[in-house]
Amino acid sequence: MRPIDMLKITLNLVIVYVLGGLLIAFVYSKASPVMYRKAQEEKQAALKTMSPEADIIEKLGDWEPHEKHAEYYVAKKCGKLNIRMVKDEKTGVEREVKECIDGTPIGYIVESYGKGYSSYINVLVAVDNNYVVRKVNILHHAETPGLGDEIERDYFLNQFNGKTVEHLVVVKGETKEDIQAITGATISSRAVTEDAVRNAVIMIKGGKPESVSEGHG
Amino acid sequence: MSLIREKGNWEIFKNGIFGENTIFRMAISLCPSIAVTNSLKNGITLGLAVVFVQVMVNVTVSALRKFIHPKIRIPIFMFIIAGYVSIIDMVMAAYAREAYREIGLYIQIIVAFASIFARAEVFASKNRLDKSFFDGLGMGIGFLLAMIIISFFRELLGKGTLYGLKIVAGKPLLIMILPAGGFLAVGLLMGFFNWIDIRFYGGKGASGAA
Repeated sequence: MRPIDMLKITLNLVIVYVLGGLLIAFVYSKASPVMYRKAQEEKQAALKTMSPEADIIEKLGDWEPHEKHAEYYVAKKCGKLNIRMVKDEKTGVEREVKECIDGTPIGYIVESYGKGYSSYINVLVAVDNNYVVRKVNILHHAETPGLGDEIERDYFLNQFNGKTVEHLVVVKGETKEDIQAITGATISSRAVTEDAVRNAVIMIKGGKPESVSEGHG
Repeated sequence: MSLIREKGNWEIFKNGIFGENTIFRMAISLCPSIAVTNSLKNGITLGLAVVFVQVMVNVTVSALRKFIHPKIRIPIFMFIIAGYVSIIDMVMAAYAREAYREIGLYIQIIVAFASIFARAEVFASKNRLDKSFFDGLGMGIGFLLAMIIISFFRELLGKGTLYGLKIVAGKPLLIMILPAGGFLAVGLLMGFFNWIDIRFYGGKGASGAA
């Protein structure tokens, strides 16, 4: 190879990669705030479905399953609930602010991660005051389509209702007490059950976090 | 470049849809044609994303073809494809979240679609910008049409719906929306198009390419 070729190749790569990088960065700068805002809205909606009977869901704190940032929340029933509209000064968008008076906790919602077959599985776990699992929802994953992605299905997720921490174990074959693995997706089933959900329950059970007494959601 | 007479843009465009249709004639990029075609909506969304990536990659590769050193053309093509896929991925994640949640996985693997890479290497790196544009458009739309045809039958037979709307009452053929149904649908349709080809065009392919 002649020196001029080496120079050409280097220049080729540098120019194409820098231009491409700039283009991607530009699109990212436009798309990322929208992604973030929509993800926030979806998160609120997701929390609401985890505990529909709660009047208010407040953030309690953060934890780090698999070195990833996750949050946990307390679901409260309120003696009295005041809703007022507040205008955001920056964007001018009106937003609901709920004020909870005489709130009693009815359970907790924990976001968690489990290491699956081909991705980290992001889940929400709802437990009641006795730390019995009430509902599990999959927020995000990239498991094998057709096999691992069955973890999103109701027949798998409905099994979690009423399970205590010692029954959060995956079993191959028929079971009523524990969690039945999805055929062909044992690793994904384990990741949800024994990693994400169980650790979430242990975390919220162990250092039972005190409610932050702000009263705003 | 080629020994035969130069093809017009229309012929190039048509070639992607009939003569060298990615799925039915070349039988490449079959993975999405099975994985994403269980509903018409998914098929169309992925098809449109592929049209965008295919056209942009062809145009970019063609525009840069004199500048790219032949020794490193493969990594550069790869980067161009990955770049456009990242862009469509981010745009969809921001503005088409519903569809993205369903087929987001497959948007990312457009990077590895043989059809896109093949057109960059075989056509765009050797042809003028306008020809490459029409080649990309033809190939992309050929892929899109194939996805529409496959997902039309699979959703109609498997769920009894079309684009989410209930069409047929009664018990649908569940197998059609399962992976096995994908193989069945692709195989039968491929056979059907081959039959048309042999019956009406003497087995030479709709535009001469076998």
